[in-house]
Amino acid sequence: MDLTDDDVRAILRLLETSPFSDLELETPEFRLTLHRTETGWTRESATSRPAHVLPRATAPELAEAVIPAQVSPTQALEPRSDVVDVRTPLPGTFYRAPKPGAPPFVELGTQVGADTVVGIVETMKLMNSVYAGIAGRVAEICLGDASFARQGAVLMRIAADRA
Amino acid sequence: MILRRILIANRGEIAVRIMRTCERLGIETVLAASDADLESVAARRADHVIRLGPSPASASYLNVPAVIAAARAAAVDALHPGYGFLSENADLAHACAAAGIVFIGPTPPQLAAVGDKLRARAYAVAAALPVLPGGDVSSLDAAAVLAAHVGYPVLIKAVGGGGGRGMRQVGSPEGLSEALDLAIAEAAAAFGDPRVYLERYVASGRHIEVQILGDGQAVVHLGTRDCSIQRRYQKLIEEAPAPKLPRAVREHMQDAAASFGRHLAYRGLGTVEFLYDCLREEFYFLEMNARIQVEHPVTEGICGLDLVECQIRVAEGRPLGFTQRDVRFDGHAIECRINAEDWVRDFRPSPGRVTRAIFAVGEGIRVDTHIEPGAEVPPYYDSLMAKVIAHGRDRTQALERLSGALARCEIEGVSSTLSLQEALVGSPGFAAGGVTTDYFRRFLEDRPAAEHIG
Amino acid sequence: MANLQLIDVSIRDGNQSLWGAVGLDTPQILSVAPLLDRVGFRALDYTSSTHMGIAVRHHAENPWERIRLTRDAMPNTPLQFIGTGLRFISWELASPEFMQLVYDRLVANGISRFVVLEPMHDIDAFLESARMIRRAGAGEIIAALTFTLSAIHDDEFYAALAGRLSQSPNIDRLYIKDPSGLLTCERARGLIPAIRARIGGMALELHSHCTIGLSSQSYVVAADLGVSVLQTALGPLANGGSLPDAERVVANLRELGHSVDVDDRLLAACARYFARLARAENLPFGTPQDFDAAYLRHQLAGGVLTTTRRQLAEIGLEHRFGDLMREVVQVRAELGYPIMVTPFPQMVVSQALFNLLGTERYANVSDQIIRYALGKFGRPSAPIESTVLERILGRGRADEIGREPGPPDLAQQRRQFPAGISDEEFLLRATMPAQQVDAMVAKGPACRRYNPATRPILKLLGALRGQPQVGDLVVEKPGFRLAMRRQGHG
Repeated sequence: MDLTDDDVRAILRLLETSPFSDLELETPEFRLTLHRTETGWTRESATSRPAHVLPRATAPELAEAVIPAQVSPTQALEPRSDVVDVRTPLPGTFYRAPKPGAPPFVELGTQVGADTVVGIVETMKLMNSVYAGIAGRVAEICLGDASFARQGAVLMRIAADRA
Repeated sequence: MILRRILIANRGEIAVRIMRTCERLGIETVLAASDADLESVAARRADHVIRLGPSPASASYLNVPAVIAAARAAAVDALHPGYGFLSENADLAHACAAAGIVFIGPTPPQLAAVGDKLRARAYAVAAALPVLPGGDVSSLDAAAVLAAHVGYPVLIKAVGGGGGRGMRQVGSPEGLSEALDLAIAEAAAAFGDPRVYLERYVASGRHIEVQILGDGQAVVHLGTRDCSIQRRYQKLIEEAPAPKLPRAVREHMQDAAASFGRHLAYRGLGTVEFLYDCLREEFYFLEMNARIQVEHPVTEGICGLDLVECQIRVAEGRPLGFTQRDVRFDGHAIECRINAEDWVRDFRPSPGRVTRAIFAVGEGIRVDTHIEPGAEVPPYYDSLMAKVIAHGRDRTQALERLSGALARCEIEGVSSTLSLQEALVGSPGFAAGGVTTDYFRRFLEDRPAAEHIG
Repeated sequence: MANLQLIDVSIRDGNQSLWGAVGLDTPQILSVAPLLDRVGFRALDYTSSTHMGIAVRHHAENPWERIRLTRDAMPNTPLQFIGTGLRFISWELASPEFMQLVYDRLVANGISRFVVLEPMHDIDAFLESARMIRRAGAGEIIAALTFTLSAIHDDEFYAALAGRLSQSPNIDRLYIKDPSGLLTCERARGLIPAIRARIGGMALELHSHCTIGLSSQSYVVAADLGVSVLQTALGPLANGGSLPDAERVVANLRELGHSVDVDDRLLAACARYFARLARAENLPFGTPQDFDAAYLRHQLAGGVLTTTRRQLAEIGLEHRFGDLMREVVQVRAELGYPIMVTPFPQMVVSQALFNLLGTERYANVSDQIIRYALGKFGRPSAPIESTVLERILGRGRADEIGREPGPPDLAQQRRQFPAGISDEEFLLRATMPAQQVDAMVAKGPACRRYNPATRPILKLLGALRGQPQVGDLVVEKPGFRLAMRRQGHG
């Protein structure tokens, strides 16, 4: 429900000749109060709906286009040859620790092997382990704990050990 | 083309304003918000919000790469820059084009043409608009010669931008050198461009502007606005149409503005600002603003158009769809800006949390605001909280409605200029209409100090 | 796989089928128009002469102004007008000059797509209407192949007709118009290829009502067979006696590998708007219908059947219902198989009743049947059975009706009304009672904003107006709380 000025005026036209001096309308999205004074009416509005913040990597320059078609291949970030992306296996919520309150699987600088679990992605109540996939050192953590990881999102980067 | 998702790269009341039209048209909105604005009313009204960056404007709303990155991450097809910030920044317009995002505004060449005040002046001359006697200044000697020719007093102005920065009035040849140095330094600090120019100073002048709208081929004007009530070149009250203007002057001004727009093959909303010399009954081109302006609601009030919708239609490549003949004016509209400032204490900014926000509502009354109980007025940006606009069948009725509306508004938790506006609107000079740009200064001086409080 | 486009019929045919054509007024249409415009519909089935008359009669609104305001709000989507070439609003025949003026003004006010509709399928009438519409400057002209079941309306009938129509320079595309919802998948599999084979690549659309639940499947078959546009409706204005639901059609088409380029978010938003409007105004929601085998035989819509049973009951003849239905089939055949859309079902049923009740068949005939027999509805698709024709026309009343003057001369008509009025106002005054047009003019410019969410509040306040004693009041339901207090309370 959205009320425009015209909507409020339509209500006021009828309120004006009514015996009421206060009208209060409340929905999960907003609250509107109309009050009659000697010289005319006033309104007080409050928007209750929370902001819907789109997920993004914390560093703006790492924001690859969310919809692949928007970015041509040459514009996508080229990973440095010795740093490997660890991407989410499925879209879902990325957790850095096995459970709330527990220490995270890895931190910056942690040495990992290909089979090391570096995080969990929860998709529709199913937990998926995320593996490092390569031996090396955690060079960058791209997504915060309990953030939403979109399809193909980079969760962290591993600086591969030289062979 | 049809735009489906727009990034609003701005904040405060204009962000809410743009959203209102997008909602009506079914266009999805993504608000680009700095950290300070992530929980704002605008953020909660938008369909989505995307973080721009840290709170300071330079890191967020004035940061072209951050804005572009936000636009790409949000996969929008267009960007609305609002007013202020990057709204007239050719770099942003170029970057949008490169990213395949429609910039809702004029073309980059048009932005460049009018953003440089000297170039804009040259275009005006080429379009046969009257300009104030004056010209560019390359050295003190050249300035002295020009000033002598134009006649004192003169006004030194910055080439790179407006808003009063880099402006200096000079009353006689003796003060020219110092004024020049100061103006150059201020211009460099404010705009990164030290160039200045000078024009004759008009003592008794009114700031009258004309709204124009173009689709890249046709240009129409949407009437005049009078914005003479200003404090340090910041507008406080605006009205449409400009009152007490000889009919011939009004028509010439409007035609001149439209003609200027046609000369540029202008696309989008623009405002041509004039200085009206009341004594000589002559007007002069000052500058052009290539964006939607704060005071656009008074024009909407008298011509019945949704100017944000006009911007979007034009950005979609649609022709105007109407001619000058189809534009009808009805009644009179006046707008008061309500700022979070303590006007009693020299207009000291008053950021903070609003605890109470009550606005008037009724026939002919419109309030554009981003303020609700609990809203924050952050310290990083301008102090505009709300615009109270009244429309009436004539100026008298508009004034009556405006007075009544201001009296019913209440804002608590931060200081506001509500009581100042009430006093201004009620002052006999303003009620008579047609005051000059000097009016506000005299109004403040004339009021006994005790009246300022409460 | 194919790319399909949609035509939305919610405002005109949906409204007419489910809400008696009175369900939507100007502010209700204008409030959703910007969203409808951006969905990506190929066009809107927007208005007809019936609808324009209802705007005046029922809402005291100016239909020309409504078209102009809608056009302003919808720059991306063509608006369609549908009507027969014979009359405008009034049931009386109009002269060709009058109809040309109607088309000219429709184009000038913003209609760019026109349906040429001749339920009798009289080819000359088709071509003449199309010529006039083209002359008026229409953007797109689409001819209707009105579908029915009968001995003569076989695939060859439609294919031959389609072939001839496709050759006219004044017809841009064709559509199968199935107002009774009779087209089965099986029939579609024969009919559509037969038509397409004769129209040389011209586009073919499908418009089929959901009366007995056939269209949601026949639409998918049609898409497979090269129909490029499907006509659909939104939310509560879909299903029932209306057209298939757009969202369901889109989902089905995509499931089968076709593409439909529409804005899904806005499609849903428009459907939601109509749903909230329907709830706010207590209007019914169309629902999917059951298959009814008997309907394919008698083709009488539910409403007509109910009325007929009641009429028989009133004269104590309810037990003769079966006989009546058989007589209906016979009468229809004798009259040359008129398509069973208003006004023909009513005319055929009345005549069947007269025949049943009278001493002889066709002893009593209605004026409408006489006019039909005289060709005033157009030339029937098949000739009227000769003995029946003789019986209908062999009476004094037929001579009287035959002698009725034809439609008046346009200039003469014009002179009956004040000189300075616009063509648009003249067209309304010439076809509608003066006091209805006067009421429309008196009401002034249309209101442009409707919000279904505020309707309950406005209705409540309106209802409380005559009750000054009412105290404080609270209305509460999930997601909504309204409180109103009197002066000096709380």
